[in-house]
Amino acid sequence: MTDAPYAKPLPRIAPDNAPFHEGLKAGELLLPRCADCRRYHFPPGPVCPYCFSEVIDWTATPGRGTISSWVVVHKAWFPAFEAEIPYNVVQVELDEGPRLTANVINVAPDELAVGMKVVAVVDDVTPEQYLLRFRLAK
Amino acid sequence: MSDFIRDKTAIAGIGLSKFGRGLEESQLELGLVAFKEALDDAGLAREDVDGLSIHMGWPIGVDYDRIAEVFGLDIRYVNQTWLHGRFVTHALQHAALAVAAGMADCVACITAISFTRLRGFLGGPEDHEGTRDEGGTHGEAPAYGLTAPASGAAMAMQRYMAQYGATSEELGEVAVTFRRHASLNPRAVMRAPMSLKDHQASRMVVDPLRLYDCCLITDGAACVLVTSTERARDLNTRPVTIAGMQGIRSGREEFIFSPRGLGLNQQAIDPAPARERDLEVYRAAGVDRDGVDGLYTYDAFSPLVLFTLERFGFAGPGEAADWIQDGRIGLGGELPMNTSGGLLSEAHVAGWNSITEMVRQLRGTAGETQIKNASVLQWGTSWGDSFILRN
Repeated sequence: MTDAPYAKPLPRIAPDNAPFHEGLKAGELLLPRCADCRRYHFPPGPVCPYCFSEVIDWTATPGRGTISSWVVVHKAWFPAFEAEIPYNVVQVELDEGPRLTANVINVAPDELAVGMKVVAVVDDVTPEQYLLRFRLAK
Repeated sequence: MSDFIRDKTAIAGIGLSKFGRGLEESQLELGLVAFKEALDDAGLAREDVDGLSIHMGWPIGVDYDRIAEVFGLDIRYVNQTWLHGRFVTHALQHAALAVAAGMADCVACITAISFTRLRGFLGGPEDHEGTRDEGGTHGEAPAYGLTAPASGAAMAMQRYMAQYGATSEELGEVAVTFRRHASLNPRAVMRAPMSLKDHQASRMVVDPLRLYDCCLITDGAACVLVTSTERARDLNTRPVTIAGMQGIRSGREEFIFSPRGLGLNQQAIDPAPARERDLEVYRAAGVDRDGVDGLYTYDAFSPLVLFTLERFGFAGPGEAADWIQDGRIGLGGELPMNTSGGLLSEAHVAGWNSITEMVRQLRGTAGETQIKNASVLQWGTSWGDSFILRN
């Protein structure tokens, strides 16, 4: 790590997603789960999109999933990402069902494939903000 | 399904500015050229326009209130949408609905945009919509470096390739075909011939999308005047009627840049042929899909052409990449698409360049790109909305 300020965009913490980000700070992947129909969903909100219940439990999950799609970015739309080009961004289908978008660390672009198993890791990009990423499962 | 709108409204006038990159003219100047040309085309006066439907306002385009005050209009109906290509269909549909409902006699759809003056806007630090919580409207995830609309189309195409074995070479047929169309169109910004080899040699932007899979970023304006068919019959040009239409689809099973069931974002992985509910445009217009003489779509990225063909059942799930080969979507083919070159090679006037091309086709004035005996043309998008025009 360098002492340069973190220049990349950060998620905006808002009432609907605050538990997710608080979970990451505690080293946990919390997902919204309906207390009535028991299904997990994403993105978070005040209601279960399946059964319309408003009783939502934020539930710790193991962070295991499968790459459902991936891309490799070759263009710097944001200057702060320029040094990392080309880098990957993936969609991961968690074992609980929801899909999240993130990066896979420590992997070359040509190694990526749909169907690869991944495990969540937490990256403390700033003292206040942690990001969810994934690594390939052993 | 509703056929109450069937052929009640018509496009009576069209106008275009020049297209280009880095044009010096303001959006208002470009819009004025297109607006005046459309009025002349129809034989209408500015005083006849009492409605505005604005697809893209500030800062890419011009907002309705500024257009009304600068052009000296007296307006009683307005529709204006987000700064997204996805609302192109909606903007025309609401013009037709307003006329059919008697809320306006003549609605001007004016799209006057300058993308090149705002390079940081699309996918860059000024793209506020792309930084929406839990993902932008094209699946952007800025914290992870996924910031531009292209990224959503790339994510969908990668999955499509993995699921069905489609290839970049097959996808290249889209860009090559539309460039061939553009080469016949004097207004087109990109007219130099493109081979599949050129497509394959173009640089990766967001793998699996290459530069030539991504549309142009240009400046330009288009105007489409919508009025009642009854009134249009008394005007200068042969009326092109709005035969039927269906709206944008949305929900957990929908992602803007993929067919249903592909497994993007929160979609189920459940590929299925187009559902009757998503084909209501044909029933609304009273035409069969087989009766469509040409298909026009919002080709911001070449995969959207494949997904549109599957959306409307021209091809089954996973079949479109193969279906388009051998000239099928080219002029002279079974289903010509985007015959003026589309966003990929003519210009990015947010789809309105293609809509004006549809009107020329149905008037029989498309010149080099004319589809022989074109009588029914469909506009449809990968997000499921559509309208059918006929002469």
